[in-house]
Amino acid sequence: MRILLIEDDPGLGNAVRDQIAAEGHMPDLAPTLSYARDLLATMPYDLILLDLGLPDGHGIDFLKALRAKGSVTPVMILTAHDRITERIEGLNAGADDYMVKPFDLAELSARIAAVARRYAGNPNPLITLGALKIDLAAHAIHGPKGQIDLSQREWIIFEALLQRPGQIVSKSQIEDQIYAFDSEVESNTIEVYVSRLRKKLGKDVVQTLRGMGYRLGTP
Amino acid sequence: MKIMQSMRGQIAVGVSVMLVVLWLLAVLGSAFVIKGEINESFDAALQETGERILPLAVVELIGSDGANGAQRILPIAQHDEKITYVIRDAQGAILMYSHDADLKVFDRVSSDGFFTTQDHRVFSRSAVSGQYTIQVAEPLTHRQNALRETVLAMLVPLGVLLPLTLFGVALWVTRALRPLAHLSVALRLKGADDLTPLKLPFLRSELVPIQHSANRLMARLSRTLEAERAFAANAAHELRTPIAATLAQTQRLVAESPDGPLRQRAVTVEGELKRLARLAEKLMQLARAEGGAMLGQGPADLVPILQVVLADFARGAVGRIVADLPKGAVPSRLDPDAFAVLARNMIENALVHGTDQPIKVALTADGTFSVANDCPAIPPEVLSTLTMRFERAGAQGSGSGLGLAIAAGIARGLGHDLVLRSPVANGRGFAVALKLT
Repeated sequence: MRILLIEDDPGLGNAVRDQIAAEGHMPDLAPTLSYARDLLATMPYDLILLDLGLPDGHGIDFLKALRAKGSVTPVMILTAHDRITERIEGLNAGADDYMVKPFDLAELSARIAAVARRYAGNPNPLITLGALKIDLAAHAIHGPKGQIDLSQREWIIFEALLQRPGQIVSKSQIEDQIYAFDSEVESNTIEVYVSRLRKKLGKDVVQTLRGMGYRLGTP
Repeated sequence: MKIMQSMRGQIAVGVSVMLVVLWLLAVLGSAFVIKGEINESFDAALQETGERILPLAVVELIGSDGANGAQRILPIAQHDEKITYVIRDAQGAILMYSHDADLKVFDRVSSDGFFTTQDHRVFSRSAVSGQYTIQVAEPLTHRQNALRETVLAMLVPLGVLLPLTLFGVALWVTRALRPLAHLSVALRLKGADDLTPLKLPFLRSELVPIQHSANRLMARLSRTLEAERAFAANAAHELRTPIAATLAQTQRLVAESPDGPLRQRAVTVEGELKRLARLAEKLMQLARAEGGAMLGQGPADLVPILQVVLADFARGAVGRIVADLPKGAVPSRLDPDAFAVLARNMIENALVHGTDQPIKVALTADGTFSVANDCPAIPPEVLSTLTMRFERAGAQGSGSGLGLAIAAGIARGLGHDLVLRSPVANGRGFAVALKLT
């Protein structure tokens, strides 16, 4: 997933960004709300991690403005504000989850995954796809011959398709998932990883729709 | 005496006692004056009587031969003689006396004027160059009776007036002190945590300074408490971010380090940081709880607050909590954030110190919040210390030792007590409950 992390504390922001990246997501770190707005204007995000007390404004106002514009991007609030009334205010403003600092990075990863699953329409982290049993939370796949290991980028592409079952996912959408905002993308990279996925999971696991993109199939 | 404990009673009794004393003093003074006046009047009457009888007696004695000795004057009609008299000659021999005269009263000769015997007042007057002397006597009891009846007549109204005065004073004092009673009731009904200003528009001028002083004091207290609360909240907020950053960086260090002593050391630091974070959190909550001011801006429904708290616990303690919440709202004066802290600490306490049996969390429609967990029975002497800081039940206690102290602080701020029970059933269990409305 491409995740926008809005956090002004560099120590915390960098650690969270590294954790998210290690989980296979593509994080962008914005230390201010204005920088976050610029990023949002340029790039669609699958999830926003939002601090509340920011140098150029309050996160709740940012969230309300986002929802007022019709954005349905899931938002998780990460804040030092622990009062229950602030939490309820955050959830009422349109947040999907609320974590109070200090938090455990493993719990953050689990909650990010849970929010992503909710938005994909299947809150259950265990998915069965043909003969494959997939644990989204553990990033584990079991096939008829045992566990199947995927590389980080293979997993990102597979998860992007799993989150949109039956839908066409364009090549550029997958590229956005894989690469950091300022990285360059080679023209045949996606095809290479799709090919590796077919080899590991079965040739029918990814359907190619020429000129349109890819769709999850049944191996 | 209960009546003397109230200002109303003190004023009523004080005024009445003063009235009685002043009245008695007035009666006493009057009695002295009246006694003098009575004596003067009776003496004048006695003198007038003697001087009126003496010429008549002299005429009668001169006309008689005096051979028959002392002559007793018989009454025209039978009656009790109040004033008696005797007529003596120059040698003091009694020539004539009134019909009821007791001659023992007239046992001595005297010069003109008054004298007093043990029980009579006597007037003497001579005539015809001392040839005849009259002595007129009147019993002192006449004067004493007159004085007693006069004084009694002055005291009787006091007996009637005293209860009326007491009643009137009590009634008047009650009316006069009504604004003070209103002020007293307003202060009593405010409660320990209500620091809003008193608003009593029709207060007497004497009480207005009290109202102003009380309002100034409450405003000052409110500012102090608010500053304390803000400090606790700000300190907690300011501490959280650096702790979060340090913890997150340490966790990344653990994740990125190869297996070995460095990684083990990083894991130890991570554990200590988590402990520090929990302790800092609890200390801030304790500071907030013991700072008082647990009342919110107005009544707030506790049910959605508890639902959010339970949702938090549901992630980490799946299936361990059995909640019983009412269908309707449970409004309470308790600050919603304080309730969340209270509920979280009570549930955490049950999770840490209970066995793996389900924890029962209940909020009743009448506003009683309770948490019960399974555990061996806690002895009464231990139970009574559990709300003290850094007290843990048993050696296996792994909590901060502050959870129930925080809950008790919040309970005190609300004006209620935290009720601890153990055993709950079958010789086992621990339950803590608190009335929140």
